[in-house]
Amino acid sequence: MEYLYGIIIIIGLYVILATSFNLIIGYGGLVSIAHPVFFALGAYTSAVLSRDFGAPVLLAMLAGTLVALLASIALALPSLRVSGDYLLIASIGFQLGILEVIKNVRFTGGPGGFTNIPPFLIREFGRESYVVLVLAVMVAVILLVWWISRSDYGRAMSAMRDDELAFSSIGRDAMWMKIAIFGLGSGIAGLAGSLYAHYFRFIAPEQFEILQSSVILTMVVVGGLRTTWGPVVGALLLQALPQAISFLHLPPSVLGPIQGILFTGLVLVFMFFRPQGLVPAKEVWRAVQRPTGKAGENR
Amino acid sequence: MQDTTIILQILWTSLATSTYYVLFAVAFALVLKVTRLFNFAQAAVMTIAFYTAFIAVQWLEWPAWAAFLLMMFMTLAASYALERIGFEALRQRGVSVMFVFVFTLMVSEFIAYVAMLIFGTWPQTIFPTIFWPVTIVGEIAVSGWDIPAMAATVGALAAFFAFMRFTRTGQFMIGVADNPDLAELYGINKRQIFLAAMLIAGAFVGLGMFLYGTRAQVLPQTGLSLMLFAIAATIIGGIGNIAGAAIAAVILGIIQNASILFISSEWQGFLLYIFLFLAIVFFPNGLRLPRRRGRFGTATRDIPLGRDAPPAESQA
Amino acid sequence: MAGVLEVRDLSKSFDGIVVASHIDLTLKSGSIVGLIGPNGAGKTSLFNLISGVVKFDSGTVLLDGSPLDRLKFHQRVRGGLSRTWQHTRLFPSLPVIDNLLIATHDYPGERLVNVLFGRRRLKAHDSVARDKAVGILGKMGLANVADDLVSDLPYGQQKLVGVARALMGDAKCLLLDEPMAGVEGQAYAAMQRVVREVAESGVAVCVVEHNIAFIRDLCDEGVFMFSGAIMARGSVAELIRDPQLTELYFGH
Repeated sequence: MEYLYGIIIIIGLYVILATSFNLIIGYGGLVSIAHPVFFALGAYTSAVLSRDFGAPVLLAMLAGTLVALLASIALALPSLRVSGDYLLIASIGFQLGILEVIKNVRFTGGPGGFTNIPPFLIREFGRESYVVLVLAVMVAVILLVWWISRSDYGRAMSAMRDDELAFSSIGRDAMWMKIAIFGLGSGIAGLAGSLYAHYFRFIAPEQFEILQSSVILTMVVVGGLRTTWGPVVGALLLQALPQAISFLHLPPSVLGPIQGILFTGLVLVFMFFRPQGLVPAKEVWRAVQRPTGKAGENR
Repeated sequence: MQDTTIILQILWTSLATSTYYVLFAVAFALVLKVTRLFNFAQAAVMTIAFYTAFIAVQWLEWPAWAAFLLMMFMTLAASYALERIGFEALRQRGVSVMFVFVFTLMVSEFIAYVAMLIFGTWPQTIFPTIFWPVTIVGEIAVSGWDIPAMAATVGALAAFFAFMRFTRTGQFMIGVADNPDLAELYGINKRQIFLAAMLIAGAFVGLGMFLYGTRAQVLPQTGLSLMLFAIAATIIGGIGNIAGAAIAAVILGIIQNASILFISSEWQGFLLYIFLFLAIVFFPNGLRLPRRRGRFGTATRDIPLGRDAPPAESQA
Repeated sequence: MAGVLEVRDLSKSFDGIVVASHIDLTLKSGSIVGLIGPNGAGKTSLFNLISGVVKFDSGTVLLDGSPLDRLKFHQRVRGGLSRTWQHTRLFPSLPVIDNLLIATHDYPGERLVNVLFGRRRLKAHDSVARDKAVGILGKMGLANVADDLVSDLPYGQQKLVGVARALMGDAKCLLLDEPMAGVEGQAYAAMQRVVREVAESGVAVCVVEHNIAFIRDLCDEGVFMFSGAIMARGSVAELIRDPQLTELYFGH
C-alpha cells in the first residue's frame, strides 16, 4: 500500500508541476527550464525551516512557496526587462547555479542530501491523509489554471502571445503580466516541492537536476501545450514510463541515462512530428461562459 | 617579487586556457549572427567531438593526428546533420526562435544522456594524462600544451577572419546576417550560407574540444557548462559582433582563472553563473565599443534581441 | 491654443541613418493633420518615436503639457496617446469583440489579483466595456461581425476594427498609420466618417496616408516629410500643388 501511495503522490506532484509549467510556457509563452529549481527551492526552504529552525510544517511550506515565488521574480525581472529570449538563457544559468550553491553550502546537507525532514499529517492521520492533501492541491491547481486561462486574464494572455507590440499599443503591460505568470507558476512549483519534502523526508540536489527540466517539458509538450488536460495526460503517461522501466531492475548508472534519453527523445519526436501534443489546443480563445450567444457560437 | 611571479604565472596560464573558450564563443556567435539561432546543440557537437577523440585514442589506440582528423570529421558530420535534418526542416515550418532553442537544448541533453549511458559519469580525458612537460621561461612555467594551443587558436582565428574578409562566401555570410531576404534577392543561396556557417562553427568546436580534452577532464554534461560560458561571452561582446565575443571570452577566461587568488576553488565554477547573470542584467546589448561601419566588427542591428529592437512594422 | 500633442526638436538616427531630424509638430484638439511624403520619408518612424516603440535620441514629446519621454509605449497609450498600425496587428486568436474588450483604458483583467479576487470589478468593467465596444462597432457598421474571428473579415473591415480598438482607450490623441491602405467600398466611406467624428469629439488626429484624395478631403492641415525632416506645412491642397514637393514625392 505504501508503495502505491508513494506513486500516487509522485504522480499528483508531477501533475501540479506540469500544469504550472503549462501556465508559464503554454499560456504565458515564456520559455524557461528552471522549473525543477523552484521545486527544489520550495522543498529545501520548507525542509530546513521545519527541521533546523523548528518552524511548524504548514508555515514552512508557505515559506517554501514564497521563496520560490520571490526567486522566480528575481530571475524574471532583469531578463524580461530586456527581452523574452534572455529568460531562457538566464534560467539555464539559474538552474545550474542554484544547484551548485545547494551542493556547496553546509545547511542544505550538500551533495549528500538533506535527511530527517519532519513528516506532516502522516503520524496523526495516516498516509492516506497526505494522499488526499496532494490530490486536493492537484485539483485546485488544475482548476486555478483552467480558470485563469478562461478569464479576462486568459483573454489578455492570448492577445499578448498573438502580438506583443500590438498588446502594448492598447496600453497593456506585457512585462508585468509575464512576471506575474512566471511568479505564480514558479510559486506553485515551490508548493509542490514542499509537499514532496514532508512526505518522502529526504531531498538531494540530484533529484532536481536538468533531467527534471526535460521530464516536465516532455510532459507538457507531449500532453499538449495550452490545454487543461494535456499536462495531466502527459504527467500520467510519463510517470508510468519510468515506473515500468524500474521493473526491469536496471542498475542506477544505466537507469538514469535511459530515462534521460527517453524523455529528451520523446520531446524531439513530438516537436518534429506532433508539435500540438496528444491533446491539441484550440486556436481560438474561449471564455468560461459566452455572455451573448450569437453567430460565433457554433464555431 | 614572489607575488609578481604568481600573478604573471596566473595570467599566462589563463591566457592559454582561454584559447578553447574563444573558439567556443566564436562558433556560437557566428551561428547566432548568420542563422539567428541560439544554437545550444553546439554542446551536443562538443560531446560528440570529445568522445570521438576519446575512443580513437584510448580504445582504438590511434596516433594523435589520426584521432584529431577523425574527430574533425565527426564534428563536421554532426554539424551538417544538425543543419540539414534539424534546422532546415524547422525553418521551413516557420517555427519560433524559442521553439528552435528548445529543440537545440533537447538535442544536447539527448546526446549527453547517450554519452552517459556509454561512457558513464566519471571524468575522461583524450590522452591518458593531462600533465604536460613544463619549461621554465623567465620565472614562468610554460607547459608543452600552451604554445601549440595558442598557435592553433590564433591560426584558426586568423584564417577565419581572412576568410570572412576576402572570400565571396565570407562576404555572403555577412550579407545574409545583415538581411537574409535582401541577400536572397541578390541571388545568394541562404541554404548554402547557413550550412557554411554551421560547418565553420563545427570546425571551431572540434578544435576547441581537442584542446579542452587534452588539458581538462570532461563529463557528458561538460558541454552544457562550456556553452554557458560561450553565451555569456557572446552577450557581453555584443550580439552579432564575433570579434567582440572572442575578446570577451579571453577576458572572462582570465577573470575566472585569476579568481583563484580571491575565492576558494569549489566556488570557481560558480563564477560562470555570475558572469551570465551580470551579462544579462548589465550588458544585454554588449559593451559599447566604438563602431566601425561596414566592417566585420559591426554589430548586426536587427537580430530580434535587446532593448532597441527596431519596430517590426516596415518604415513608411 | 496649445496642442494636445507637442513634438519638439525630435531627432533619431540608426547607425548613422537619420530617420527623424529636428521634427516639430503640434496636434490640436479636434483637428486632423495629414502626414504625407514618399516611402522612406520617416512617417511611420515618426509615429514609432512619438508612441515610444522606438526611443528617440533627442528632443521631447509632450501630451497635454507633460513630457512622455520617460514613459514606455504602453504607458503613453494609457496616458491618452493611441495609435493604429499599417498592417492592423489585430489579435487573431480573439473574436472581434474581444479584440476591443481588452483595449479599454483600464482593463482590470490585466492583473492576476483582480482575476482571482475581484470578480465584481471584472463584471462591472465587462458590461461597460461591452456596451462601449458594441456602440463603436455599430457606428462602423460592424455590429453583425462582433463575434467573428478577425481573420474571417475582409481586409477593409479589419482596418476598421483596428481603429475601433484604438478608440476603446479614451484617447486624447490618435495616430493613424495608413488607415486607407487596402480599404475599398463601404469600409472606405465608414473610415472617413469615423475619423471625422473622432476629431469632432475633440481628439487630436494625425494621419499617415498615401491616398491623397482621402487626406485632402479630411485634413485641416498637411505636413510634408522627406528623408526624416519636415519640408513644408500648409493646407493639403497647397502642398500637392507645389511642383517641388511633387517632384520629391514622385521622383523617388
